[in-house]
Amino acid sequence: MAATRRLQKELTDLKKQGTRVYRDIEADEKYPFKPPKITFKTKIYHPNIDEKGQVCLPIISAENWKPATKTDQVLNALVALVNDPEPEHPLRADLAEEYTKDKKKFCKMAEEFTKRHAEKRPSD
Amino acid sequence: MANINKRYAISGLESTSRRYKEDNKMSVEMKSQDSDNDSEYDQSDDHMEDEDFDYASYYDNDTDDLDIDKPKKSDDPEYFEFKLLQVEDVERLLNEEEATAGGQHTCPVCFRSMPLRDFFSLVCGHLFCRECWDVFFQIQIQQGITTGIECMGNECKILAPEDFICNILSKPELRDKYTQLSFTDHVKCPKCHVCIEKNGGCNHMQCTKCKYNFCWMCLGDWKTHGSEYYECSRYKENPNIVNESAHAQAREALKKYLFYFERYENHSKSLQLEEQTLMKITTRIQEKVMNQTGTWIDWQYLLDAAALLRKCRYTLQYTYPYAYYMEKGARKQLFEYQQAQLEAEVENLSWKVERAEITDRGAPNAVKRFPRSIKQYWVTNSLQMVIDFLVYL
Repeated sequence: MAATRRLQKELTDLKKQGTRVYRDIEADEKYPFKPPKITFKTKIYHPNIDEKGQVCLPIISAENWKPATKTDQVLNALVALVNDPEPEHPLRADLAEEYTKDKKKFCKMAEEFTKRHAEKRPSD
Repeated sequence: MANINKRYAISGLESTSRRYKEDNKMSVEMKSQDSDNDSEYDQSDDHMEDEDFDYASYYDNDTDDLDIDKPKKSDDPEYFEFKLLQVEDVERLLNEEEATAGGQHTCPVCFRSMPLRDFFSLVCGHLFCRECWDVFFQIQIQQGITTGIECMGNECKILAPEDFICNILSKPELRDKYTQLSFTDHVKCPKCHVCIEKNGGCNHMQCTKCKYNFCWMCLGDWKTHGSEYYECSRYKENPNIVNESAHAQAREALKKYLFYFERYENHSKSLQLEEQTLMKITTRIQEKVMNQTGTWIDWQYLLDAAALLRKCRYTLQYTYPYAYYMEKGARKQLFEYQQAQLEAEVENLSWKVERAEITDRGAPNAVKRFPRSIKQYWVTNSLQMVIDFLVYL
């Protein structure tokens, strides 16, 4: 009950800020006292996101999570990680290596990968 | 006007206040005189007097200082300009706080608005409603976290003290669990994750819930510790350590130190717990004798065993610092082998002593007792071996 209420409130706040959230967001009953889980449903070519879509984000790890952390902070951290991969703590070591050694190739591969797997932006 | 009079009442300087009383039509003129006075005092060497008088100028932040050119004050490195609150300001602020106390506040966790009296915060001042704190503590304690519970605020590292948690926790059973967990030594069962407290010296633990047998030190299955080869006392060094970076080497060194220290510490704790075991044994012997199961003399072997255990634990405790400083080689291997044997036997004996239910009376019991005397013999033997070995080194 508390979890759903908080999530609703946070999503309306996000909408006010102009952020569009269109992927499924569900609240576990222990949220916000336990961290939310994030998985990518679309395949992504990224050193910090594995084939199953699992992502290692420090802000939502069990040790760092605080109930007062807001969804927009989590999303910002996520966007920052997606934009700037951290090859120092990779989930996919092969991609991390490619990213550090041959960034051009990495970008090209990522682009092709996105073209192949990404979903279309939902129209407004 | 009134302000200035008040000022002098505070200053307690009779002469000046008398002067002010005499001249009630005080004006700017007076003010400047007063400032002159100020400067006179400031220049004087007598610091006591200076301090005394400065009360007046302290409470007076009017412009009179600016009227007269006084460069020496700002030259003073301890001189600061600051704005003092007027009585009205203070009153307004106080009232404001009162107003919010009666008003509503939104909890940053559940986003509900509630009167401020339902809110609590740690020293960091992050306010959350009682219900959120309560649920938060419940979840933490259910997870077995007790000593490191931090404030719910984002990136706030303030730890919640025990009285705060106990005050807020609404469920008495969780409060008991909290105190139990935070003030006693405990470990989680590797199988069913129930919290287990170490209540005796023995490292051979059995989960009360799922009956899983495991080792207190490494949390591994006890089966691997028994008869064959006891590995828990041996530190496995990384063979490639020389090729690793300095950072990794330092980490490895710390790991090694902690490994040995943990075991040393554990034995010293177990030693204390053996004292309790000894007391338990004494009461148990009394019970048994009262219940006519064996005579007092029949049970004496338990006391002997406990005394032996104490001796063994003491020896074992100090084998760890010794092993830590030993050079790698055959000698260390032999030492570690002996240590492991003794460790295994000690744990075995410890386990049996804590659960001893029989004496050597009667024929069938004598058979059961037989392995134990063997064990005792073994322990004495291996203890003797280790001691000999130490002396030899």
